[in-house]
Amino acid sequence: MDRINTITLEEALPEVFVGAENDEPVCHSEVWMQHLELARPGRYLIMAESGTGKSSLCSFVYGSRHDYRGRILFNGRDIRELSVDDWCEVRRRHISLLPQEMRLFPELTAMENIQIKNRLTDRLSEKEIMDLLREVEIDHKAGQKAAFLSIGQQQRVAIVRALCQPFDFLILDEPVSHLDARNNAIVADMVTRVAAANDAAIVATSVGNHLRLAEPHVIHL
Amino acid sequence: MSNSYKGLVWRLLRRNISAGQIAGYALATLVGLSIVLCAVRFYGDVSSAFNTDDGILSKDYMVISKRVSALNTVGRGGETFFTPAETEELSRQPWVRSVGAFTAANFNVYMSVDLGGRSMSTYMFLESIPDKFLDVSPSDWRFDPSRPEVPIIMSKEYLALYNFGFAASRGMPQLSETVMARVPLSITVSGNGRSMKIPGRIVGFSSRLNTLAVPQDFMEWANKEFAPPGKEEQPSRLIVEVSKPGDPAIDRFMRINGYDVAGDKADNSRANYFLTLVTAIVIAIGSVISILAFFILMLSIFLLLQKNRRKLHDLMLLGYSPRQAARPYNLLVLSVNVAVLVLSIVITECAAAWWNPRLADIGVPNGSPLPALLTGLCIMAVVTVANLLTIRRLVRRNF
Repeated sequence: MDRINTITLEEALPEVFVGAENDEPVCHSEVWMQHLELARPGRYLIMAESGTGKSSLCSFVYGSRHDYRGRILFNGRDIRELSVDDWCEVRRRHISLLPQEMRLFPELTAMENIQIKNRLTDRLSEKEIMDLLREVEIDHKAGQKAAFLSIGQQQRVAIVRALCQPFDFLILDEPVSHLDARNNAIVADMVTRVAAANDAAIVATSVGNHLRLAEPHVIHL
Repeated sequence: MSNSYKGLVWRLLRRNISAGQIAGYALATLVGLSIVLCAVRFYGDVSSAFNTDDGILSKDYMVISKRVSALNTVGRGGETFFTPAETEELSRQPWVRSVGAFTAANFNVYMSVDLGGRSMSTYMFLESIPDKFLDVSPSDWRFDPSRPEVPIIMSKEYLALYNFGFAASRGMPQLSETVMARVPLSITVSGNGRSMKIPGRIVGFSSRLNTLAVPQDFMEWANKEFAPPGKEEQPSRLIVEVSKPGDPAIDRFMRINGYDVAGDKADNSRANYFLTLVTAIVIAIGSVISILAFFILMLSIFLLLQKNRRKLHDLMLLGYSPRQAARPYNLLVLSVNVAVLVLSIVITECAAAWWNPRLADIGVPNGSPLPALLTGLCIMAVVTVANLLTIRRLVRRNF
């Protein structure tokens, strides 16, 4: 599969909003029922209120949910045509997702949680992973089981994990909701740097605590 | 990639694997499969006695005749030969593969033999049957009127009768089959006002036929030459190739029509039928146990995958393919099934090693282990494929 240059939404609408097209939140949305193109290497901040379909949007683009109307396109190709193998390829090499609920395996250590992703593509060495963990100040927690990490620590482990693969789009669903302003800035610097190295776009969602990206395109969901 | 992270997926997914359930499945399958394989192996071993002509239970052919009653003796009973209609009715039976008639000699046969200077001679009888019913196939089994010599196949029972009944009591030499085959015979056939002396030779010994058999072409030639004109007898004995030995219908048919089966072939057939029946029952029991065990494993896999559903989903969100996510479970099922197969084969072979010397003692040759091996392989292949397909389906459902 070629690199994904654009992700386009054409009249997309979650099934749950069908019939409420003229009501809030759909009627004033800049995403639902609109033509929206996200292009590499842009920086996008999707601002949303709770219940407007922010995590659904991430799941639709990541292929883990398909309960929407309209079309979503990668480089102009409808993603409903993608096979299971195609999606595996997309998730390994083209789109990296940080889910809002992080989805760490509690019985594995922080390092194992990262390696279980990293081993798929052998993207980073263990030292490079440790450097990233050090950057977000949790290198001393590398051997700690995820179950015993605070939510903020888990969030930083999950962010590092999301960077352990090649990607064209980095989708971060509320990446800093549990981080203070200082750690927010550290994370923003780190993901911006790694995304630039990948020549990739960043799409971050937020309900309040925004990831501090430099000059992002702000889109209201 | 560091080797220490290789087993991460297994470490994640082995959670919730119930050792008790897997052990229960393995044990139940082991019992079921071992029963099935032992039954197949034992049937193979014992039926080798049925499938060899000289075996203790040779059974595919039956020689039948009509029952001789006191009325036959005084000449008032029904005829003891088979009419064409009766032969036809016999060959129509579903358990009959083919029917052959014994052709009797309608001429006089006087046979003399020279045994180390002592000469013996007697009136004799000869019969012939179509070649395909013979259990021996001598190379010179033919008759040429231009260079007449009569090959004869003799019943093994006759040789035993001579050796242990006649020779022992009369001080005559006992004869082996090899020696007997070298003894020159002189056969005088006469009838229809003519007589002819023809050399003869024993060319084989039959355990199927209790007669002195000559080639069909000799019998046709001799009957034409020496039988009184117009005399053509119906066969009084028939040889039947049976397709379903031991079928109770055979016994019923013989009883209703008043036919006798020579020797104890009918009993042997019943023994074979009984063996087949018992084997079928044992295989059925083994199969039921195996099928139940199979469902235990299916249920176990289903529960396991349900419990680990979220982990499987998360792994695939990270980019693991369904095949990679299913791999630990596939390996688990494969290793359990292979272990069960190997163990059940070992158990079967141990059991066979126990019964084979005992069967050999009563003259039953050992059968091949191959059918049991192949049965085991096939069953476990089917079970494993079904397991793997279920795992694949359940894992993909979580994608």
